[in-house]
Amino acid sequence: MLTRVLQGLAAILLIAAVNFVLVRAAPGDPVSVLAGEAGASDAQFVAQLRTQFELDRPITTQLANYLGRVARFDLGYSYRQQQPVLKLIVERLPATLLLTGSAFALSLLFGVTLGALSARRAGTWVDSGITVVALVFYATPLYWLALMAVLIFTVQLDWLPGFGFSTVGAGLRGWALAADIARHLVLPALTLALFYMAVYARMTRAAMLEVAQMDFVKTARAKGVRPGRILRAHVLRNALLPVITLAGIQAGGMIGGAVLTETVFAWPGIGRLMFDALLQRDYSLLLGTFLVTAAMAVLFNLLTDLVYTVVDPRIELAS
Amino acid sequence: MKRRNLIQWGASATGLTLAGVPLHLLAAGKKGGVINAVVQPEPPGLMLGITQNGPTQMIAGNIYEGLLRYDENITPMPSLATSWTSNKEGTVYTFKLKPGVLWHDGKPFTADDVVFSADVFLRKTHARLRANLAAVESIKALDPLTVEFRLKYPFGPFIGIFEVGSMPMLPKHIYDGTDFLTNPANATPIGTGPFKLKEWVKGSYIQLVANDKYHVKDVPLVDSIYFHVIPDAASRAAAFESGKVDLVPGGAVEYFDVQRLAKLPGAALTTKGWEFFAPHAWLWINNRKAPMNQVKFRQAVMHAVDREAICKVAWQGFAKPATGPFNSHIKFHNSADVAKYPRNIDAAKKLLAEAGYKGETLRMLPLPYGETWARTAEIVRQNLLQAGIKIEMTATDVAGWNQKLNEWDYDLAFTYVYQYGDPALGVARNYTSANIAKGSPFNNVEGYSNPKIDELFDAGAKEADPDKRKAIYLQTQKILLDEVPVAWLFEINFPTLYRAKLSNIVSSGIGLNDSLSGASVA
Amino acid sequence: MKSFWLRFGRNKGAVAGLAVLMLVTLVALVGPWLAPNDPWGMVQQPFLRPWTEPGFAMGTDTLGRDILSGVIYGARVSLLIGAVSTVAALLIGVTIGALAGYFGGWVDSGLMRFTEIFQAVPSFALAIVLVAIFQPSVDSIVAAIAIVSWPPVARLVRGEFLTLRQRDFVQAALLAGESTPRIILTQILPNAMSPIIVMASLMVATAILLESSLSFLGLGDPNQMSWGYMVGSARTVLRQAWWMALFPGLAIVLTVLALNLVGEGLNDGLNTRLNGRTR
Repeated sequence: MLTRVLQGLAAILLIAAVNFVLVRAAPGDPVSVLAGEAGASDAQFVAQLRTQFELDRPITTQLANYLGRVARFDLGYSYRQQQPVLKLIVERLPATLLLTGSAFALSLLFGVTLGALSARRAGTWVDSGITVVALVFYATPLYWLALMAVLIFTVQLDWLPGFGFSTVGAGLRGWALAADIARHLVLPALTLALFYMAVYARMTRAAMLEVAQMDFVKTARAKGVRPGRILRAHVLRNALLPVITLAGIQAGGMIGGAVLTETVFAWPGIGRLMFDALLQRDYSLLLGTFLVTAAMAVLFNLLTDLVYTVVDPRIELAS
Repeated sequence: MKRRNLIQWGASATGLTLAGVPLHLLAAGKKGGVINAVVQPEPPGLMLGITQNGPTQMIAGNIYEGLLRYDENITPMPSLATSWTSNKEGTVYTFKLKPGVLWHDGKPFTADDVVFSADVFLRKTHARLRANLAAVESIKALDPLTVEFRLKYPFGPFIGIFEVGSMPMLPKHIYDGTDFLTNPANATPIGTGPFKLKEWVKGSYIQLVANDKYHVKDVPLVDSIYFHVIPDAASRAAAFESGKVDLVPGGAVEYFDVQRLAKLPGAALTTKGWEFFAPHAWLWINNRKAPMNQVKFRQAVMHAVDREAICKVAWQGFAKPATGPFNSHIKFHNSADVAKYPRNIDAAKKLLAEAGYKGETLRMLPLPYGETWARTAEIVRQNLLQAGIKIEMTATDVAGWNQKLNEWDYDLAFTYVYQYGDPALGVARNYTSANIAKGSPFNNVEGYSNPKIDELFDAGAKEADPDKRKAIYLQTQKILLDEVPVAWLFEINFPTLYRAKLSNIVSSGIGLNDSLSGASVA
Repeated sequence: MKSFWLRFGRNKGAVAGLAVLMLVTLVALVGPWLAPNDPWGMVQQPFLRPWTEPGFAMGTDTLGRDILSGVIYGARVSLLIGAVSTVAALLIGVTIGALAGYFGGWVDSGLMRFTEIFQAVPSFALAIVLVAIFQPSVDSIVAAIAIVSWPPVARLVRGEFLTLRQRDFVQAALLAGESTPRIILTQILPNAMSPIIVMASLMVATAILLESSLSFLGLGDPNQMSWGYMVGSARTVLRQAWWMALFPGLAIVLTVLALNLVGEGLNDGLNTRLNGRTR
């Protein structure tokens, strides 16, 4: 376990260094972006900013400074926004965690339920129906789903808000605020969930069908154990193992994929922060968001491994 | 007749306004309410002295003020300066300041602040003002309410440089002696304007609240303004449609949507408010490389481009074909006595042959500011292909676009530029030899150099007599339209979309970049 | 081979998917000759609804360009990007996975850590950064997709190689003195092909979706009329011109769906363990 954690940390530092070099390979820099936006600039303006942004130092110095800071958990300073990177990220991180967390939970819930249902009624039209629906959602581009959702539920029906985190200027507190945020969360979380649900549904179905033919299940059936109990105690638990593995991998990807959802729904998360930082060539901020998302992905992988080892020995006992 | 009714009747009859607010509205005593607007993209900061990009100007125009404002004919109106005089030669200007103006922190605004802002702070941080103040020899406070500008030579457009985005008034007592760029006060901008910054939730919204100590009585007429940050154009349109926002500045929503949204019940549209900036769009042509160094090639491009189609199809009528280097809103514009370039593919082909174009593929750099610019680039590409010019589109984002233009690494590139009401302020920088320098995408990027043009622009800036200036600039336009250093495309009439219940949101020639002090919610 | 097709054929969805895929490939190959117009040509009135003008079955877009021609040309671009990036990703992933699985030990450790680093960074975010760095073009998009897609291939191939390495026929080949490259390429790899092929079909689907997402964010190649580009440019007029985004969007969904179904069929056909009892 310890070696895995250490390896994870080393990986993160390496990612930091690689990203640092990579990002600077992009044409333009934060100063040229600001100068372009100002609609006017001259040599003095540019020189002033470059000094302030520490861009006039040699690249090796910049890299050394950066890695040194990362090791001390200091993610640097965004000169464009005049704020420490860590502060900017921490402000936006909860929104992304809320979005991806709920989407993750929803997709697992829908996916596993539908997959189990599909497996139970294998070969019937319920099975085919669920398969088709799942596959169609998987094949549809995420931003398309998002746009359709906004069009239908916000513009046409006005059932749910389509942008933002909460109703601005309403001054809500406590439970009212939580309810307001929840209302704003519904569309983006559902959209993200529908996309990923398909994979879990397919996988659960395939895994359950495979496990259902295994000897220990046949034994249980022969012993006269009720079908419902077979499903829950034996089949589902075993079938969930590949689903858990997949979930761990997907979770990391979901954070990056939230960029599209956050864009369409104006959800103030770090996915959008990363994209904006890229466009503005805000190096410290971009690298900071990269690191944080990479660290989260590594964490998810570790957690998945943990869950796996917890689930695994119990299976052996049950059979 | 009651006195109130008399004012109402009188005001509406004569169109009298106070700080841009029709008197009858003031008399009606409408107050209160919230304006929900959209800002795109989120500004990097709100300290107008340091950051001068579009979104910052729009929001900070409510927090800061300049000495003067300008109406739609670019005629100066009083703001923090109540009156001004100049000597006969046009080399000494004296401004009288408004008494009783307070900064948001309660300290009084005086002539020392004016001197500090223009001479010390902005000279250090504001590239455009630096250029504008080249003619200024000294700025002095004669007494707490009087400022004197002494010029080295008469500078024709001098009275036009006092707009809030060009020369915002900044508090000396906060910034004097500090490092301007890192002063912590930059996070809480202090100005003299009708609104104060209340809250900024990054990635979500910026909230301004009314300044109850504002130096104009009974104004502002709303309690607060929210600027919402919505990153996607389609989402912004949906926000307006569903009533979540009531004010959408030009360019925030695609033009195809603007027409549709303006027809919704309760929605209204105006293209006013851009007369001062006079946005002018053209195609940079890199004069340094063949075949673009040939005048005939560039003239061929002018004949090939279908400006009408661009304005109608891509901009949905919110643009007007340009006739030359001067925007029709700025002084001394002349489109009658200069060469014209109507769309003519045959003429273009003939000119290309004469220019010796051999069929090389040229790179075209579109402006990475949204779908409308992408469509514009596609139309121009098709136009040029029809004339026989081979085009390859290079894709890039804003940073890359800046980089390429800074380093002159392009063949053809799109741009648009503000002209600030006067050729000496907003046109000269694109055609004079002195402005050929790497590092800026807004100077003489095409590399055009003509000593006669240099001489003319120089003379025009130093001339005080408007008739003489008119003759100088007529000659300038004639030469530029013969030599075609860049291919002028169109003038933009940015539409501001708003809910009809909001009144008076555009009250000067800089529209939303001015303050919303006179705006009210019905 | 015959039993493969039998098993494949039993999956109705896979057969339907194969039919669609073949249609799309056909369009991609001969489409440009059949397309009525140049997809970039402004040949008609803008915002023309579908089926209102003869010859413009899918209507026109905001600039008056024929959408049907756009969809036809787009097939070529999308499939090309999907196929080439997948092949590139496979080349990288198979090489790394094979070496790691065959040699084991510290070679395996090193290569797997390297793979993990790539997997830790969210793939879409990395793709965006790579495309932004290399400036959007077909080449940079293909490269970016390949670079973010190879890690799962490497893991899969490594797993297969680890298992197959211990099998008798490999031991026999080693005893016979066959060289390492020969063993890897001619003995083990053919036996590992089944899961690789299944994965490849899904990767093409993901690549097409990835390319369309990049176009949506404004990072597509502006010289190519790809489906993603068409949907991206139509998204701001969704309300008044639903057809501009519908047809290319539908094309994406159908192609991706077809690829997924074919992938499942391949899984059924190549996977002999389940005795065809998945249905």
